[in-house]
Amino acid sequence: MRGFTERDGVAVAELDADERAVVARIVADVGLLLGGESFGMNAQPERPERDEADEIFARLTGLEETLVEPDDPAILRLLPNAAPTDREVASEFRRLTESDLRTTKVSRLKTMWEQLSEDGPDWEVRAEDAMSTAAALTDIRLVLASRLSLETDEDAERLHTEIELAEHALETDADDDLLIDPERVWLGMLYQALTWLQESLIAFAMSIEERGQNE
Amino acid sequence: MDPKEQLEAKGNVATRLDDAWVTIVWNDPVNLMNYVTFVFQSYFGFTRDQAEARMQEVHKEGKSVVSTGGREKMEVDVQAMHGYGLWATMQRSGQ
Repeated sequence: MRGFTERDGVAVAELDADERAVVARIVADVGLLLGGESFGMNAQPERPERDEADEIFARLTGLEETLVEPDDPAILRLLPNAAPTDREVASEFRRLTESDLRTTKVSRLKTMWEQLSEDGPDWEVRAEDAMSTAAALTDIRLVLASRLSLETDEDAERLHTEIELAEHALETDADDDLLIDPERVWLGMLYQALTWLQESLIAFAMSIEERGQNE
Repeated sequence: MDPKEQLEAKGNVATRLDDAWVTIVWNDPVNLMNYVTFVFQSYFGFTRDQAEARMQEVHKEGKSVVSTGGREKMEVDVQAMHGYGLWATMQRSGQ
């Protein structure tokens, strides 16, 4: 994997086929978590037209959904409570915004999934799409962080140490001696890789913006 | 006081209260410093220095007030922050 660097005004990262498959998979998973349709081959064919009844029904169910807080802590982190001390303000906010937020987030993830599903190692992001891609990466990292129980800055640092220890143990074949949860290490490494990709993408966006100001 | 006057008086009070809302962004272990800075810069139109100062405040103090205004405006700002994956809330100012 190589982080984003600039090539002719476009951000380009390199991911091999396995890396692309893993990242595309988590992108699709988060899309599903947010209530989107599945991306790609297994997706239900989209219905060509929604009739009026569909619209009304969607609005009704949307209304019902949006009055309550999501149970899943990961979804709650993507669609947080906007006013923890005021239930009326919080539910009004959810009713007004949740459906739009879900749609925005799912559509960004879908774009990212499509980019990752193209052939070849290059993942290209145009300058004008850098922020929406960075935001989609944030959503994925928020879900992973929730699954990894990262609640404080210290938790995040501890994860880093845990992974270093696990990597060292694997290199020295001492992994049997350590109580390593392979799934946690795997998710943690994915989290770190996405953090690194996002960091490089924002550095790209910032340098483009600075150049724009100086011109 | 006739009913019309009463209504107006109420309206005035409501307007004053409506102006006194704030959007707060809270610290979390996921969002990157350069990302938060860039979001503040591009969404609120802060300079790089202003955006960095707010980001540092979030990081060190745990939260920062990033905008003030009427309730509807704060709803727009909080929604935008949630769109970016930042942990934002709104409340009446001074609460």
